[in-house]
Amino acid sequence: MIPRHFQITVALVLLAILISGVIIIRMTHKEEALTLQAAGAAPVAPIVGGRQEHIQLLLAYDEDQALRWRSADVFLPADRNLRARETLRSVLAQYLQMPSPHPLAKGTDIKDVYFISDDTMIVDTTAAFADGHPSGILLEELTLASLIETLTANVPGIAKVKFLVDGKERETLAGHADLMSFYQTAVVHELAKEFE
Amino acid sequence: MALYFALAVSGAAPEQQLTVYTSQTSYSLPVLDRGGKPYISVADLLLPLGASAPIAKGKEWKFSLNRAEVRLAEGKEKATIGGKQVDLGGKVLVENGRLMLPMDAVLPLLGRLLNTMVDFHQPARRMFVGNTFTHFTAEFKNEDQPSLVLTFSQPVTVNENHVEKRGILTHTDTTTLVFAKDPVVSDLKTQQYGDGAIQSLSFSEENGAALLTVSGNKPLQVIRSDDGKTITLQAPEASATPTPVQPSAPSVEGQRRTPEFFVMIDPSHGGADKGASFSGKLLEKDITLRLARELRKELEERGIAVRLLRESDIDLSLDRRAEITNEQHAGIYVALHAGRPGKGVRVYTPLLTDPQQPVAGRFLPWESAQSGAISRSLTVARAVSNELRKKGMAVASMGMPLRPLNNIATSAIAVELAPDADDPQSLESQKRHNNVATAIALGIVQVRNQIEGRP
Repeated sequence: MIPRHFQITVALVLLAILISGVIIIRMTHKEEALTLQAAGAAPVAPIVGGRQEHIQLLLAYDEDQALRWRSADVFLPADRNLRARETLRSVLAQYLQMPSPHPLAKGTDIKDVYFISDDTMIVDTTAAFADGHPSGILLEELTLASLIETLTANVPGIAKVKFLVDGKERETLAGHADLMSFYQTAVVHELAKEFE
Repeated sequence: MALYFALAVSGAAPEQQLTVYTSQTSYSLPVLDRGGKPYISVADLLLPLGASAPIAKGKEWKFSLNRAEVRLAEGKEKATIGGKQVDLGGKVLVENGRLMLPMDAVLPLLGRLLNTMVDFHQPARRMFVGNTFTHFTAEFKNEDQPSLVLTFSQPVTVNENHVEKRGILTHTDTTTLVFAKDPVVSDLKTQQYGDGAIQSLSFSEENGAALLTVSGNKPLQVIRSDDGKTITLQAPEASATPTPVQPSAPSVEGQRRTPEFFVMIDPSHGGADKGASFSGKLLEKDITLRLARELRKELEERGIAVRLLRESDIDLSLDRRAEITNEQHAGIYVALHAGRPGKGVRVYTPLLTDPQQPVAGRFLPWESAQSGAISRSLTVARAVSNELRKKGMAVASMGMPLRPLNNIATSAIAVELAPDADDPQSLESQKRHNNVATAIALGIVQVRNQIEGRP
């Protein structure tokens, strides 16, 4: 015969174990949900390390329709692709801050950068880069010139650049600037000089 | 485009037909009477436009064009196009394995499937896909040997055998020219010229063709010249050998010139592509269309023929704009834009982003089709910029990799209005539109002679 007080103790212990299990399961689910939510807001590409460098960025200023060189301290990895991507992202970071000299849409980012030959590079942007870009000949061309010039100033050996939007070709950036063509960096250099 | 000039005469009632004109070709298909309603074959209509062949599954049919799927069912009066229901104006028929639709369904069908303007002259059964029109001017010369010179914007080719065998419908009082394959259009109904050998000219359309009828009191000779762009009708002299008559070149400023040289005006954006948005409902696509109409008026007043790439709020891709301009051999292409930032007017010339070596032969690389015309584009831009400056406007001029400038094979510029002092309402100013349009027109008049004949 099991004493009554022992039966009650065992029942209470089992109940406590059950309640603890339910609480643990719910907490785990909540943690997973928070993790997923955080992942949605994360950058489209992993954070990279590298050596901090003092680099030159050619930035667009809408107010006076000009391009001006500015310096910035940026962590740049040694890998050529990653270096190119981080260089471009440092330009976009300037445009995404408030106040911005050349406002771009939230979500604008560089998804990927890769070389298809020694001197020809593809820049894949997020959809927001084009979908949310203000429409206007000058506004669009200043964006492209700023990105390409900054790229060639900090990543040597690039002769041609082409932009993709979310992995696909697009006719124009926002109705005007050509995105179908490859841009010769030498041609863009001459164009940019008109605005410096 | 292979156009030919057909002179059709037949004693029997002609077969009813629908003619479709596109920028690449034109074709006719039979129109059949079914229960008092005109019907056409879907395959005859759509296969030449690139549609897939209709496929049947029981009574259900489907085909696609431009990535839009069309679903139809035999005996039903509605179709589903890209998921939306469309009234066909009559039942779908199937005869000998051929899918047939009422002719009333043609416009709603093509209007939804083609990414371009479709103009259907339904009573005459003539359908124009895109900006595919051949215009003409008529000049009556009341001389010893009266003549009527018809000058067309595109060649209309005479099939000489056709003329002899089937005959021009030439009586003592009328000569009828039937254009079965040419997209000839006109606002002209009837023009009177007196009571001599040539008394009147009238334009009409019927059974998939355009007809020009000249009335007079004598049989007329028909003489083709200028590579098919000119047709002269004249009363024959008793002993003289007929010779081609060239239209006389205008010598006085303000007189309308023949439309062989014309300016293609591109009111940028349109339809779902609004372009830049300014305050409230002020959109770039509306500003460019208004400015385009103003520019057309200014150019026509100075005797320069003009075509607009869009007359209304329609979608037209950038590549298609370039294709139309190149196919029609425009003398000058002018794209109009409006946008921030800055003030005044900006004049852009093409800038090849990836210059390539010229290709031997007739074909040009699409991305650098402009390569052979850049110096002429600069000439036009300089003249237009100078005229804008003369009107006291702030002008910036520069090369820019704008689409579709680099795909245009003739002189091409883009003109962009910027709001004065960041006041968007200034983009709506009639006075400003008039000043800008006048300056562009004056610039083009100045350089026309330099570039004419070198499309």
